[in-house]
Amino acid sequence: MRFVHSTTRPSRKREDTVLSFIGRSVIQKTITLFFVSIVSFLIIHLAPGEPSQVDPLNPKFTPEMVERFRKEFHLDEPLHIQYTYFYRDLLTGKTVSWKDNQSVLGKIWERFLNSLPLFIVGTIITWTLSFPVGIRSAIFRGGLYDRNATFFSYLLISIPGFFFAYILIIFVVTQFHVPVIGLKTFGIGDAAWPRLFMDRVWHLLLPSILGATGGIAILSRYVRSQMLEVEGQDYVRTARAKGVPEEQVHYKHALRNALLPFVTMFGLILPGLIGGSVIIESIFSWPGMGRMAFEAILARDYPVILTVNFISAVLVLAGTFVSDLLYLVVDPRIRL
Amino acid sequence: MTIRRVLIFAPTLVILFLLQSYLWVPTYEDQTRGNPNRLKEYITASIGDAAILNPILSADSASSDINTVVFEGLIDRDEELRFRGRLATSWEIYEEAFFYVNEAANISGLGIAGAEEVLVLLQKAKTQDYPTNPELQASLSNIQEISIVPAKEFSVIRHEQKKEDDTGPAEVKIRVSAPARVKLCLGRVDQDLFQNLSRILGNEYFSSFNGQSFITVDDEQWRSKRAAYAQEILPAIEHNPIVVFSLRPNVKFHDGHTFDANDVKFTYEAIMNPKNLSPRVPDYEPVKRVEVVDPLAVRIIYKRLYSPALGTWGMGILPEHLLNDDALRMEAARLGKDPDKFSMRQSSFNRHPVGCGPFVFQEWKSDQYIILDSFDDYWEGPPNYKRYVYRIVPDLLTQEMEFYAGTVDSYNVQPHQVDRLKDDPKYQSFSGPSFGYTYIGYNMRREPFRDPRVRQALGMAIDVGKIIDYLLHGQGERITGPFVKQTDYYDQAVQPVPYDPQKALQLLGEAGWKRNKEGWLEKDGRRLQFTLITNSGNDLRKAVLAIAQDAWKQIGVDVRTDLLEWSVFIQERVDKADFDALILGWSMGIEPDLYQIWHSSQTNPHQLNFVAFNSSEADDLIIKIRQEYDHERQVAYCHRLHEIIAREQPYTFLYVTKWTAVLDKRIMIQETDSQGRVVYKKIQPTKTGNYSFYFNKWIKLPEVPSFALDG
Repeated sequence: MRFVHSTTRPSRKREDTVLSFIGRSVIQKTITLFFVSIVSFLIIHLAPGEPSQVDPLNPKFTPEMVERFRKEFHLDEPLHIQYTYFYRDLLTGKTVSWKDNQSVLGKIWERFLNSLPLFIVGTIITWTLSFPVGIRSAIFRGGLYDRNATFFSYLLISIPGFFFAYILIIFVVTQFHVPVIGLKTFGIGDAAWPRLFMDRVWHLLLPSILGATGGIAILSRYVRSQMLEVEGQDYVRTARAKGVPEEQVHYKHALRNALLPFVTMFGLILPGLIGGSVIIESIFSWPGMGRMAFEAILARDYPVILTVNFISAVLVLAGTFVSDLLYLVVDPRIRL
Repeated sequence: MTIRRVLIFAPTLVILFLLQSYLWVPTYEDQTRGNPNRLKEYITASIGDAAILNPILSADSASSDINTVVFEGLIDRDEELRFRGRLATSWEIYEEAFFYVNEAANISGLGIAGAEEVLVLLQKAKTQDYPTNPELQASLSNIQEISIVPAKEFSVIRHEQKKEDDTGPAEVKIRVSAPARVKLCLGRVDQDLFQNLSRILGNEYFSSFNGQSFITVDDEQWRSKRAAYAQEILPAIEHNPIVVFSLRPNVKFHDGHTFDANDVKFTYEAIMNPKNLSPRVPDYEPVKRVEVVDPLAVRIIYKRLYSPALGTWGMGILPEHLLNDDALRMEAARLGKDPDKFSMRQSSFNRHPVGCGPFVFQEWKSDQYIILDSFDDYWEGPPNYKRYVYRIVPDLLTQEMEFYAGTVDSYNVQPHQVDRLKDDPKYQSFSGPSFGYTYIGYNMRREPFRDPRVRQALGMAIDVGKIIDYLLHGQGERITGPFVKQTDYYDQAVQPVPYDPQKALQLLGEAGWKRNKEGWLEKDGRRLQFTLITNSGNDLRKAVLAIAQDAWKQIGVDVRTDLLEWSVFIQERVDKADFDALILGWSMGIEPDLYQIWHSSQTNPHQLNFVAFNSSEADDLIIKIRQEYDHERQVAYCHRLHEIIAREQPYTFLYVTKWTAVLDKRIMIQETDSQGRVVYKKIQPTKTGNYSFYFNKWIKLPEVPSFALDG
């Protein structure tokens, strides 16, 4: 009995600390979220420019009409009242876009579903490609392959995304004469489903490759440096000294430990779900989240901008929370 | 080692899978071969998505692109930009004019006269000849009927906002004992009627009418506003132009419901309903009321002379049965919303419009596409294309690429691409001047711009020809005045300001500006110095900014420049008239109404005459143009106004850009001739440059046809 008793105590202690960690961080994050909501609200309302409905340079708009729109949008009220109006609507799910009177949450959900395949394919390409590239660079450090990989990584990091996108699009369209823009080929008609499916896959290819290039370049650098760091550790040298085959040293002893920090990165890619990519989505006329947010900003569609802002703030905070938790789970050395 | 194999195979598989999808995608040629229906589809692309598919609520160009093909107006404009009937088969414009009998005025040869006597006087005048005064003669012979509206007593209630407190609007009761009124029915609208009648009734007859003496305001507090009330309730003279439209019978909405006069009346009422926040209120504000004469005739009575009014009836007509109060209440109930607050703006109609235009709405995916199908019961016969797809492609370069890949059928060419694409054998191209112009505007509240010689000199110093050649790649034309260049309101005889720096210096010298030792122009020890601004984000304007600065520096003007973000530019500088000179552009409609931009009453903050152009002669013409219903006379007034503005140079008018559009060469006009044979013709633009005028007859052919005769 004593034995059992003595082992449960520390574990309960750890449970307590985990619980109190969760409690503390939920409270902290709620407070942060509150401030984020105020700051983003202020920034958007204080920035110059007016919603396009109250655009004063359209000769057809009389001052009375602008006034009526102001009233309709509560723009004539003081900021703190507008703030409460907006967040009351948001939390009850009643926010509507000024542009087309559609429910904002409905719009975001629809766009989210469009951005999702792009995000998934992009992530798969990034994560499957970065590891082999980075590991090989680390194993043959300083060799021709490593130097080439370094060169291309920096090239891909520094090349502007829109420029690279244009080059790729022009190349594909002029060389292969196939459409690449949008979710699918327009006017393809009622072809058989495998064809329609593959057509969609093709339209996913370019934007997700473009979305992944930066990720591959950066992530493979991380993998390389993590591997190098771990390969220099004593236990790896010990493994080598024991006569473990090279391959097993690299892929079993070194890689497993090098992977640790990447587990936590999963939490941090969460906000990328909603952020989407403004540039790539605009260039490929992909009806995703990023493009909607961008166009809402251009039209000063405050409800949409603020809602996207709020949701992404929630996701960022949730992302850091998840990654903290993952750290806790995978690395017992971490103390809170 | 499995981990290693997995690390290598996983990415290889992913990439192979993605790449093989290429084999399934149709190329340009395969698209029509694999899918013959593609020939019956027209796909076009737009930078922005539509906002609201309701003609009375939309204010953006994408929405109006769709609304014009889904909805049909009473009239539109033909190849020559004249009005032609659509839902209306014909229309008639005449006028009813009124004036109050002024018993205080002394009519020469008659003295003080009551209503009966004035009536007799006018009737007698109609039978007489006035050889010295042809205008009066014309006005009199235009009067078809004279009658008397007897005196009557009534009361009116006005709502006034109290200044001191916010207790809401106060009700002001006004008692009116209106004197008798003379009603004149005119065969055509005559804006000079009362001016001419005052030759008979005396110059002071209308202006000395004292409406105030006929009204009583009970509430002490508002008595001071009596003059304003009198002006409103008892105007001495009143023009009521009337338009009667005869409507086309048996026109169907897309849901099969028959169109009639009630739909027209309903559309007007929906615009004026404050709940709907329609941006078209200013167009219809001059309407007094709309009357349904019979199911196929509607009479529109206007409060005052307003000649742009006829053009407003090109607006799409809404189906009353789907949007009237009952329908909206039912929809609100279905959605569980408060029926009192639910307006047309919230209705799902705006995303599923039903009109009586040539295309039926099918599907709208936000930021992706809008699909329309041809309407088989269209009154003019269904369009040749079975489907109209409006894609949203926000990037110009990708639009171009989609055009090459065959998934967009038309492309609006950028100026620098015109030379390359214009003669491409695969495409047919069209071009023409756009409806708008770019200008440099001078703030005439400030020195040195008060002097017209300075404004002219500044215009002369800039070589606009070079701007067009090099900046616009030749895709522009000079413009000399404020009207749309391809309409007849624009006076082609007005010559542009020549490029002549020497003459500019001479003019500035006459205005007192002389070059000093350093080469700067000086007057009374002060340098000719000002700041030229424009908005950032428009590369053309930015380049013009630099060109103007350089050109003016060369004649000794010290010019500073500034680029401002659009909203700062508008709100802080333009609206508050806080600028010396600016570069901006106007896009215009066909109507020649220039009131908002050029009338001297429109110079206050937030109004559009921000350069403070002020000329009584021009003001007079602007009002006349607004009130003139006769096209020839309107054109004459416009030409005179154009000349005055060109002489005064409140703006340096720079250029109007030219658009170029390319289409696949396989797109043709398909018609059936009198013997029932199908004939194909090349698409020809109309005189005003509109190539899509016959869009409903377009079709795409599988091969480029060869035309032996017209090549």
